[in-house]
Amino acid sequence: MTGSPAPTLRQGFAALTSERANGDGSGMRVAFVGKGGSGKSAIAGTFARALARRGEPVLTIDSDPMPGLAFSLGLEVVEDAVLDDAVVERQEGEEGPRFRLRPGLTVGEAIERYAAVGPDGVRFLQFGKLRGHVAPLIRSQMAFREITHGLPPNGRWNVVGDLPGGTRQPFAGWGDYAHTFIIVVEPSAKSLLAARRLANLARRGARPTRVVGIANKVSDAGDTDLVRERCGLDVIASIPWDEALAEAERHARAPIDYAPESPAVTAVEKLVARLIEEG
Amino acid sequence: MKLAVVGKGGSGKTTTAAVIARTLARRGMTVVALDCDTNPNLGISLGVGDEETERLIAMRQALDEGQEEHTPTWDELVDRFGSDAPDGVRLAVVTRIENPEPG
Repeated sequence: MTGSPAPTLRQGFAALTSERANGDGSGMRVAFVGKGGSGKSAIAGTFARALARRGEPVLTIDSDPMPGLAFSLGLEVVEDAVLDDAVVERQEGEEGPRFRLRPGLTVGEAIERYAAVGPDGVRFLQFGKLRGHVAPLIRSQMAFREITHGLPPNGRWNVVGDLPGGTRQPFAGWGDYAHTFIIVVEPSAKSLLAARRLANLARRGARPTRVVGIANKVSDAGDTDLVRERCGLDVIASIPWDEALAEAERHARAPIDYAPESPAVTAVEKLVARLIEEG
Repeated sequence: MKLAVVGKGGSGKTTTAAVIARTLARRGMTVVALDCDTNPNLGISLGVGDEETERLIAMRQALDEGQEEHTPTWDELVDRFGSDAPDGVRLAVVTRIENPEPG
C-alpha cells in the first residue's frame, strides 16, 4: 500500500467496496495480527482503552486460546460467561450450521450479555481458554464466530480484535469482522518474514481489506524504514522500545495503567487520536 | 533423541530449537530439524537465510498441491525437500501456511 495517499481507517473499506458511507457514525473495525511476541496484545489493549477514553464505544475481540488481551486491557482473567449457552445445537433432521445463536438472542444482546466490562467501559469478548483439552471449547468457539460474523456492518461499536500469532487464524474466518488489518512488526528477521506472509495472505483474501503496519519495539532510526521496505507496508505508527511495557507484562498489568506516561503508551494514544481526527 | 520445543509466541522456541540442533550437530550427532510452526521461521534461526527458508516452504506447498506423483517416505521427504543448514543440520518444513484449517 505505497504510492497513493492512504485512506483513513473508516474510509478504507468504503474506498475499496463503495458500500460504506464515510462519516456515518459507524465504528472502526481493526484486527491486530503479527508474529507471536511482536506486541499485538499490548498494543491492542492500549489502543482499545485509549479509544474508549475518548468516549467511543469499544468492543474488543480475543480469539487467542491463550490469555493475553485481558491482561493488557486491565481485566482479571475472565473465567465466566464463555458463551456455551449462547448457541443451540442443530437437531437431527435440521438444516444449517451445527451451532447457531439461541432463538431470540440477537448479536447485540449477546454482546451485552457475554462481553465482560473492562476499565474505561471497554467490552471484552472471548471464547474461553485452553485447559488441556480442546473439545469443550468448540461450542464456545462456534458461538464466538456466530457473534463476530453477525456484527452489523455499520454498527456503532468500534471493534478491536486481537488474533493469535502467526498465519493460522487471521484469514481463516476469525478476523472477518475487521475492515483493517494492522500487522504489528518488530525489527527482527522472523517478525518481518511473518509480516510479509500475513500481508500477502491478506491481499490475496476474498474480502477487500486494508492492510497497514505498526513498527513496534523500535530502537533504531532505521527500524521503521526496515518494516516499510521489507514488508511493503504503509506504516501508520512507530512504537518505541519501552522497558515499562516489559515491566507491565511482568506484573500482568495493563500498560495504560502501569505506565500511562511511557513513550510506548503515548505513541499508541497519539495513533488513536490521529485516527479519530481522520475518521 | 526426539525433542519438541513448545511455548507462547515470542518466548524463544525457534531460537532455542535452532541452538539445540546446531549444538548437537557440532557434537557429531545426526540432526534433523523439523519446522512444525504454522509460520515457519526455523530456517532463519538455523542460519540458512530468508530466501532458502521461503524456498523450502514453497516446496512443502507443492507437495500438498499434488505436484508430486507419489507419496514419498519420510527419508525421501527429508532428503528431497530438506535443506542443509550449517554444522550439517538437515532442515525440513512440516507445516503449510496457506489455506490453513480454522482454529
